[in-house]
Amino acid sequence: MSGQINPDDALYVDMFIAKNGQTMNFIRSSYSAVLGLAAGTLGLTNLSGFIFYFVGSAFLSALIFVIKTKGKSGLYFRKSLDVFTEGVFGGLFSYILFWTLLYGIIHVYD
Amino acid sequence: MLLDPAIRDWVLIPIMIVMVLVGIVRHQVTVLLNGTPKKADLKSARETKALQRCGILRAHGVHIPEHAFHARKAYLSEAFEKGTYLKEPNAGNKPRGNVMQDPAYVETMMDGMKKNMMNIVPQTVIMGWINFFFSGFVLVRLPFPLTVRFKGMLQRGVETHDMDVSWVSSLSWYFLNLFGLQSVFTLLLGSGHAADAMRDMQAMSTMGMGNAAGPNLTPTGQPQDMHKIFLGEKENLELTEHEWGLENVETRLLVKYGKKPASVLLDQKKAKIAKASGRLATAGSASSATVAAPSSAAAAASKKKGRRQV
Repeated sequence: MSGQINPDDALYVDMFIAKNGQTMNFIRSSYSAVLGLAAGTLGLTNLSGFIFYFVGSAFLSALIFVIKTKGKSGLYFRKSLDVFTEGVFGGLFSYILFWTLLYGIIHVYD
Repeated sequence: MLLDPAIRDWVLIPIMIVMVLVGIVRHQVTVLLNGTPKKADLKSARETKALQRCGILRAHGVHIPEHAFHARKAYLSEAFEKGTYLKEPNAGNKPRGNVMQDPAYVETMMDGMKKNMMNIVPQTVIMGWINFFFSGFVLVRLPFPLTVRFKGMLQRGVETHDMDVSWVSSLSWYFLNLFGLQSVFTLLLGSGHAADAMRDMQAMSTMGMGNAAGPNLTPTGQPQDMHKIFLGEKENLELTEHEWGLENVETRLLVKYGKKPASVLLDQKKAKIAKASGRLATAGSASSATVAAPSSAAAAASKKKGRRQV
């Protein structure tokens, strides 16, 4: 309501930005759950599990960047780097949940 | 250390399933309770739209010609000043009554209460259930190490001093589910679902905002004085300078396709700044109340000159 409006902001439609953010969230949610299942099944522990997650989500980001935005992620997000950061830490919780679940079921109980 | 497979079958997996199901039920109950969103009445919609319109003018004013911009600016400024778009044009003078007697306000409060209850009740029940039946259970081993600091939190009810911290109790499994299942709910119920605990926290702190039907409330719950907001917006509008988006467009085009060096644009910008500062010096002597009109005329004049130069 107050303050100056940055004219660059006007180039983006808020509704579409939000929609793109939701789509990213959706992709990341399902992806991190599946990634967690994979990590648990493989029996990754400690740092290797977290490295697996970050490498995996970097791979996903790169896929989205190359295939879906065709290298022009600035057209879909306010900052072109958002495609690499959006929802990464939100997905971490569900990754840990599914990682723990499968790790527990397979490697702890037997 | 080995755990009994029965714990897995009867504690670990059931807790997860129950939490997913409770989340889904919560979503459905919230949808039921909220019902269809109420229609905003005409006056309050007009109030917010006027503000939006002003914002759009400030952001996109470069795309309309100078005279159109100034016509809109003058009109909106006057309307804000006189309070044409206010819901109650004369409410500014009379003292506000007790907000608790305002039915719209009470209704917003009730909505917030309902949402709060929907958040707190199921979580308390599940936590009670887990504490009652499964306290002291070692459920699962986290696949990553934690510092000893977490021992008290993650192994509450398990009185073993030498056990590694990564073995956690049933309550920790509950918390892991609470945070980790958010994305599962996103997948199951679509985004904007009502099972999201974190979103509820936000809803609590900004209770009533974004509800077009209710009165405009600050986070503290006090109704806002819309006239003051209008006056603030008017000031913002007055400060907005019009700079036509098509100015120097032909030079910019030539520069873009490499027909002219980029330094041409820089020179033009410098010349414009010099002109503007000269204008400010002359306008500074005039009284501040009448700055808007003469400076806009000067801007129009300078723009014509600029166009001829190009």
